Amino acid sequence: MALEGFLLSALVLTPAAAASLLLLLPKDAEKAHRWIGLVASLLTLGLAGMVWSRFDPSNVAFQLVETRPWLPTLGIAYRLGIDGISLLLVLLTALLQPLVLISSWSSIHQRVKGYVFAMLLLETGMLGAFLATDLFLFYVFWELMLLPMYFIIGVWGGERRIYAAVKFVLFTLAGSLLMLVGILYLSYLHKAQTGAWSFAYEDIRSLTIPMGEGFWHSPQLLLFAAFALAFAIKVPVWPLHTWLPDAHVEAPTGGSVILAGVLLKLGTYGLLRYNRPLFPEAWERATPLFLWLAVIAIIYGALVSWAQKDMKKLIAYSSVSHMGFIILGLFAGTVASTQGALIQMVNHGLSTGALFMLVGVVYDRRHTRLIEDYGGLAAVMPLYTGAFLIATLASIGLPGLNGFVGEFLILTGSFPTHPVAVILASTGIVLGAVYMLTLVQRVFWNPLVHEENRTLADLTWREALAFTPLAVFMVWIGVQPGTFLRLSEAAVRHLVGGGL
Amino acid sequence: MNLGDLSAIQPELVLVALGCLLVLTDAFVPSLRSRFGSMAAIGAGIALVVRWTSPTPGMVWSGALVVDELARFVDSYILVALVLVCVMAEPYLARTNARFGEFYALLVWAAVGAMVMAKADHLLVVFIGLELLSVALYVLNAFHRESSLSLEAGWKYLMVGAFAGGALLFGIALLYGASGTFSLSALAPLVAAHTLTGSPLLFLSLALILTGVGFKLALAPFHAWAPDVYQGSPTPVTTFLSVVPKGAALVVLARLIAFLAPAELSPRWTMLLAAIAVLSMTLGNLVAIAQRDVKRMLAYSGIAHMGYALVGLVAFGFDGLSGVLVYLAAYTLMNVAAFTVVSAFSEAEDEPHLLTDLAGQGWRRPVLSLTLGLAMFSLAGIPPTVGFIGKFLVFRAAVNEGLVWLAVVGVLNSLVSVFYYLRVVYYLYMKPLPKREPKYSEPWPARLVAAACAVGIVVLGALPGWVVSAAESAARTLAR
Repeated sequence: MALEGFLLSALVLTPAAAASLLLLLPKDAEKAHRWIGLVASLLTLGLAGMVWSRFDPSNVAFQLVETRPWLPTLGIAYRLGIDGISLLLVLLTALLQPLVLISSWSSIHQRVKGYVFAMLLLETGMLGAFLATDLFLFYVFWELMLLPMYFIIGVWGGERRIYAAVKFVLFTLAGSLLMLVGILYLSYLHKAQTGAWSFAYEDIRSLTIPMGEGFWHSPQLLLFAAFALAFAIKVPVWPLHTWLPDAHVEAPTGGSVILAGVLLKLGTYGLLRYNRPLFPEAWERATPLFLWLAVIAIIYGALVSWAQKDMKKLIAYSSVSHMGFIILGLFAGTVASTQGALIQMVNHGLSTGALFMLVGVVYDRRHTRLIEDYGGLAAVMPLYTGAFLIATLASIGLPGLNGFVGEFLILTGSFPTHPVAVILASTGIVLGAVYMLTLVQRVFWNPLVHEENRTLADLTWREALAFTPLAVFMVWIGVQPGTFLRLSEAAVRHLVGGGL
Repeated sequence: MNLGDLSAIQPELVLVALGCLLVLTDAFVPSLRSRFGSMAAIGAGIALVVRWTSPTPGMVWSGALVVDELARFVDSYILVALVLVCVMAEPYLARTNARFGEFYALLVWAAVGAMVMAKADHLLVVFIGLELLSVALYVLNAFHRESSLSLEAGWKYLMVGAFAGGALLFGIALLYGASGTFSLSALAPLVAAHTLTGSPLLFLSLALILTGVGFKLALAPFHAWAPDVYQGSPTPVTTFLSVVPKGAALVVLARLIAFLAPAELSPRWTMLLAAIAVLSMTLGNLVAIAQRDVKRMLAYSGIAHMGYALVGLVAFGFDGLSGVLVYLAAYTLMNVAAFTVVSAFSEAEDEPHLLTDLAGQGWRRPVLSLTLGLAMFSLAGIPPTVGFIGKFLVFRAAVNEGLVWLAVVGVLNSLVSVFYYLRVVYYLYMKPLPKREPKYSEPWPARLVAAACAVGIVVLGALPGWVVSAAESAARTLAR
């Protein structure tokens, strides 16, 4: 019983505690740094598993709630809680982190201590942002993710890393600082309406936020815009996506995996957690806009992916397209489409994370990511080819793998309310198959023209170890989606309110 | 006069005696010179302890001083800054062969001036405190006598200080003419009785006082002296200059606003203060981007930061004032941290402190670099640092007073500032080491101050409850 009182804190703070432990170790004890990072992230994964086992999917309220006073006169407290919407994403984060550390075991050689430190701090930030149920705490964790990612891109990244890192920071901050003003205004509204200060999510949720007249005089629309901008930049929604390809291409493999796997999900999570329930009327108003932006993102992302010569850039743009599907599902707003969006967040984290990891594998061997530098790898690296193929098929939505479940739910869930958008979005699936299969064709089956590719080593056991859990979950979600959909169903139904 | 009132100013007495002791020791026992830094720091530490053990009776000396919780908060802030500056000054003076007792004595007396200024209720006492502070600083700015930059700094600060002092004094005289009193707290009943409403003399006097205080705070458009003085002054003096006078001047402004309620006399006052805040933030941040010398960059960042702090005073009320006080505490830690590290990262004090000097140092000197990085994040207002808490509180006050636009301008300015603060981090961690490796000394006092500030920045950022509640009880003396 006692454990429940601090399980979520233990989950959030274990990586940060391990990070502070790292600071005490000497600089050259690289092996120890890696092991501390790995053990801490595995411990976090274990704790996440315990959270899963104690989670009651039929309960729509926050569970395992923790409340500790922080700044009581301001109504700020350290509040953590988990519900069906955050559980899946917490599990995804906890799963990806150790895999990333394993996969960067042989690719990061410089400043290992700093790398592991940044990764662990990033994990604390991500988990905290998913679990915070106080707007102030949420903001703190949200910003806490920024700096480690800045360092990961800026120190361990590629040639244009500084440009990419600064762009990433400025884009993200531009959105989140306005959200901060929004958060302040919400607490002010709470004081005005109830007479007490509070930043607690559930208190804020019970407010009625006036709609007013026009955009500039409507508190609800302005607040919606402030929050939506922060989240839309993170997703990223077209046309705010321009930081993403740069960040992805320049980031080291581990950074890309976390960025695509979890950080982007924080944007869609934020929209679902904050924008939808807090500003319902503004959400209604904004729905057409976001649906169109989603459709544009789906098609635009796919077309731009098709044209890429660089594998990492191709996958980065495919993220824009896939995240468009999630936005479509969220704004279509039925239970099925929202469930689909939620499971698709996990799917995208798994398959795109895997793809970035696999591109990293050949990059480590050949130091090039250009598609034309490869060809015929199927004969040289059979295991690698198989892994890449699984991730590709998951990504393009082959039935039996996870991507199909998400896309199917999003499209069928959205069709009754928004048929035109769904029809247009469906072309994205076709295009997705086109650009991904073209990639596979050119890298694995085209004739082997570059001699240096003839001697490439297949997956090492460590790389295989990092990929296997991802593949397991791709198949598991694909074959038995109920296990996962069940976790979020009650919460989504409660949030969306009846319907399909 | 009641001799018992002396107990209320025990910390000041300790400091005055400490200054005399340092000067006399320098004259008669010069062999102790290497110990002056620790003597001054310990003395200032004792004054801090005395501040918290001596009573806070409120108004003393027939209304000359108000020793209340606000005064105690500001005193603590000044004394903490003084202790840190004394510790970091020791290696600097050793390097420049200037370990003289006067240096510390003047520093200590300047702090007394700031403390008097911050707790004065009588406007002439404000002026006396300001002069004590300024005169000591004129000498300190020019302390590095061989450097023309230092002399220039002293000269500039003297000219500007004289002008600011004159404006302030003239303003005080006109205020006396308008109201018939020098006492700030006696103004409140006059305002309540509408005796002063619409008095042109009063507005002229307020404008002049604001000018005087604005110079001390380096608010735009009274900021032009700051970059040169910051750059030229010995770095410990720059550190002191960048935090102590600003804190004292902000508190004077807060007391003036609390008792005179200029917003009630004329709403234009709020707009004027808001305009100065916006101008300071914008100008400071934009010009800081163009700087290559870290000390100059920090000067412009200081201008911007006083703009943020002024946002709290524009909003005023309980939230605004407590926000400003927390902001001051945060600002002290991050500025002391930044200047300490910058001083340690320069090969010679009379050379410019260029950004390029920091290249690649991050992995070489972990303690100092991490501190500088944290100070930059804190100045940029990124959680979980104390700088974020300060900004959060002043912007919150603005939003609560219906000044959402001011908060928006503030956060957009923060965004601009992130660009140049991160550039420092970029040089530290993402640039390769230069071919010719600079010879930097890393004396233990610098490391000590840096580590203390770094811990303070993070701990107060994560657990701000203690400093926030201290600021709240201090703010309660002026505003509800």
